[in-house]
Amino acid sequence: MVIAQTIDCPACGAPASAGFRFCEACGTPLHGVPAPSAAAEWVSSSTAPQRCEACGHTGFSSDGYCDQCGQRGPTGPDHSEFDLGPVAGVSDIGHRHERNEDAFALGTLPGTPLVVVCDGVSSSSRGDAASHAAVDAALPVLRTALTEGSHPERAIARSVHAAREAVTAVAGPDQGNPPSCTFVAAVVSAGSITVGWVGDSRAYWLPDGGTPCCVTVDDSLANELIASGMPADEAHAQPHSGALVRWIGVDADDGPPKARTFTPEGPGRLIVCSDGLSRYRSAPEALASSTPPGPPLAVARQLTQLALDAGGVDNITVVVVPYPPAAPTEGSAQ
Amino acid sequence: MSPQSGFTAEVYQNPYLAAGAETVDAVITVTAGEGGAAPSPAGTPSAAEAIMIDCSGSMGYPRSRMTEAIKATGVAVDTLRDGVLFAVIAGRSRAEQVYPSRGMVAASADTRAAAKQAIARLTPSGGTAMGSWLALANKLFAEVPAQVKHGIMLTDGRNQHETPEALRQVLAECEGRFSCDCRGVGEDWAASELRTIASALLGSADGLEEPAELPAAFRAMTEQAMGKSVADVKLRLWTPAGSTIRFVKQVFPQVEELTGRRVAVSDRIGEYPTGAWGAESRDYHVSVQVPPGTLGEERLAARVSLVSDDTVIAQSLVLARWTEDDALSTQINDRVAHYTGQAELAEVIQQGLEAREAGDDATATAKLGRAVQLADESGHEQTAKLLRRVVDVEDAATGTVRLRRDASSLDAELTNVRSTKTIRVKRS
Repeated sequence: MVIAQTIDCPACGAPASAGFRFCEACGTPLHGVPAPSAAAEWVSSSTAPQRCEACGHTGFSSDGYCDQCGQRGPTGPDHSEFDLGPVAGVSDIGHRHERNEDAFALGTLPGTPLVVVCDGVSSSSRGDAASHAAVDAALPVLRTALTEGSHPERAIARSVHAAREAVTAVAGPDQGNPPSCTFVAAVVSAGSITVGWVGDSRAYWLPDGGTPCCVTVDDSLANELIASGMPADEAHAQPHSGALVRWIGVDADDGPPKARTFTPEGPGRLIVCSDGLSRYRSAPEALASSTPPGPPLAVARQLTQLALDAGGVDNITVVVVPYPPAAPTEGSAQ
Repeated sequence: MSPQSGFTAEVYQNPYLAAGAETVDAVITVTAGEGGAAPSPAGTPSAAEAIMIDCSGSMGYPRSRMTEAIKATGVAVDTLRDGVLFAVIAGRSRAEQVYPSRGMVAASADTRAAAKQAIARLTPSGGTAMGSWLALANKLFAEVPAQVKHGIMLTDGRNQHETPEALRQVLAECEGRFSCDCRGVGEDWAASELRTIASALLGSADGLEEPAELPAAFRAMTEQAMGKSVADVKLRLWTPAGSTIRFVKQVFPQVEELTGRRVAVSDRIGEYPTGAWGAESRDYHVSVQVPPGTLGEERLAARVSLVSDDTVIAQSLVLARWTEDDALSTQINDRVAHYTGQAELAEVIQQGLEAREAGDDATATAKLGRAVQLADESGHEQTAKLLRRVVDVEDAATGTVRLRRDASSLDAELTNVRSTKTIRVKRS
């Protein structure tokens, strides 16, 4: 696979800089993002808490606890699945955690599936509130930005900004250990795939033939050390080498997300996931050999089951986007 | 963060509980005006100051006691900001207004000079009835609209000329209306009386070794009062249905029991007075008993807010999580452990000194020995030093001590009045 600085115009084939919005040769929009249709909205795993599991009371405070007994109210369901046709995803609580702190949102613009996956940082308070607020804020901004003609990398940066604001609002006056989450977003269009991220949630490119790769580079201590010149084996041997160095939260830096745009050489699938999956299939080759053929929802379910069978120690979220993107179908959620 | 309010609240706790466990402890550190700048959301609040000077007969022996008290009151008057309303009260068996002749007056060059002239004419005679002094201050404060109302009370003796019941009644009337710092001078004041007054009126109590220390002490108290920039802050506590509040205490800079001062706002919510705040930091220990939850669940055990004018200016959450992992549930947060020890330290000093006064040497030795041990463990050097004025320490680590026969009443009262002063946990 090639991580390209340039893309080819989908209409005339002329090379063009990834930063350009229109082909300089023929004027075709380079990122395949026409105006949104009214039907194609977006879905997310976020649901408002309904009734306290412990006492049955229906009122919850703005920080997410039952007004009556103090029980933590659910932010999202333990298991959710969405299938929008060209993109489908599954999120599952796993075997060990008390709540599902992963969240995801899927959307489509014509010919362009959109994905946002966030993983609540479990060492922060109310990581699930952060992840749900983040995906719900990010996806509509991502759609709007693309509709307005932003380059996908720029659109993802804008959606990260929206996610930060939403997570800050969730934090409220609680100053102890503010809610935090990771972030990964993908924009898959006819001519290119763009992925942007903050933290250690990942995107893998699995071509139908050829060498699979991990598109993202975790914002981890080890990778920081490697970037600063330390040999990889030494960096990974450091204590807390897997520790997050960037995340979305009040206590995090507000720099832009890392981003990559590339043009696949042929068909394949983009897998966007939380570390609930990648911890069991970290190497791209291992993930590729474990990923069966089939429609996106079926594949997402099978990869989720694989993580559960391997131990399911963390929440698992898997989103599958075939490339080139298929035409959207009626969205359905379960 | 709450940069608008200038207040922050940080919680320190171990939220993990073993199956069936019910008690959740947390220390909340509230800091106002980080970096030394006074938090001041709505400008400097208006202030009023009442200075109550003991003018009983004993104040004349030695002479320096009255002359230093006069000097100190002048220093306090000079320390008032222009425009702060003030009054000076002479305390004997009854209270008498020294300056102005009635009501309160705004501080200015003229009123300060006039006040100092009136103060200079004070003479020692008569008895001591502190309740009557506080009652007059309360009456004067009631007539003025100031936001921050503060009193300074100086005495050199015990409250001999009124009943403890009369003092209690006055304190009940004054509570929440003004704050008051109390100081004792000489050898005959009673630490327990000063602590009772200061505690009820959200102020500090202390004693002075020498009359010559009075002017500096009065300046410090007045400066601190002038530095208060947010009046009437309350600690608001939400607790879940079925829970019991075991206690709410201020634990730094001194131990102050707040549990009984709850004012119910609703079934779930109560408020505790904390008085006025300048640029300062205080710690609170909250202990709540909650109905046991299911394993793996998280519950809010308390929501702790600081409230001013019905606005939440800082908030922290105290959580409970039930787990089978003993390694998690058996840990005690180091600040919770530290302040549990500091509160016990204050208690055993007071109990030990009480037993000593009652002639129960066995109890006094045991309690003060424990106090020496706790002061040593926590590194509370000030208190360790004071304790050595009343006991000879054989071995601090085991709390082995002998009562000192040569300890004066001042040694005992100073140790007692400062028993509630705490230190923060030493960072390792």
